[in-house]
Amino acid sequence: MLIITRRPGEKIMLGDDIVVHVMEIVGNSVRVGVEAPRSIPVYREEIWNAVRDENRAAADAAPRALPQPSEQDA
Amino acid sequence: MPPVIVESSRFGTLEIEESAVIEFPTGLIGLGSTRWALVGDSTDGPFQWLHSLEDGTLALPVTNPWAFFPDYAVELSDADTAKLGADEATVLVTVRAGAELSDFSANLRAPILIAEGRGHQLINEVADAPVRAALFGEVAETAVA
Repeated sequence: MLIITRRPGEKIMLGDDIVVHVMEIVGNSVRVGVEAPRSIPVYREEIWNAVRDENRAAADAAPRALPQPSEQDA
Repeated sequence: MPPVIVESSRFGTLEIEESAVIEFPTGLIGLGSTRWALVGDSTDGPFQWLHSLEDGTLALPVTNPWAFFPDYAVELSDADTAKLGADEATVLVTVRAGAELSDFSANLRAPILIAEGRGHQLINEVADAPVRAALFGEVAETAVA
């Protein structure tokens, strides 16, 4: 991992196309701006984790695990 | 164009028409795979499968969220709206199957939007959209019992 110190108003370049702005620091929060090409999705890490876990869990299902229409109507 | 053949671990050999292929430029979150298709008849119950055409073992049950959550709303960021590049899209949500109907849930936080043969799994900006929303409430449990 690269660890660097930045001050509010300074930026980090990831390659040529992605810019991370350190915008302001308020208490124990850092406001960060991310400029990235449309093809690069940007996520909050905890949401990305939760969705990945949910996708994996969904992908574990066997076909028979799904209720059939008759079960639903019962 | 010949159909795409997939050896599915769940459904055996699948033949998918090229016109039914859905391109996901960035894959599904955490799963990757950029070519998918919907498998299963939507008139044959509420669930279909979003099946990878690149990995025969990779498929997720999906459903129309409004079949279960009539008040469901999706709000996209400006960047995601631009990414979609269409005014209208088919909206599906992934389903986590459980041992009991009461364990079934849908991910309302990260819906899948499909427009013009392209799909994106996007983050719903509606503040309280749950990752795991029970599909069958107490009504269904009572009905099955």
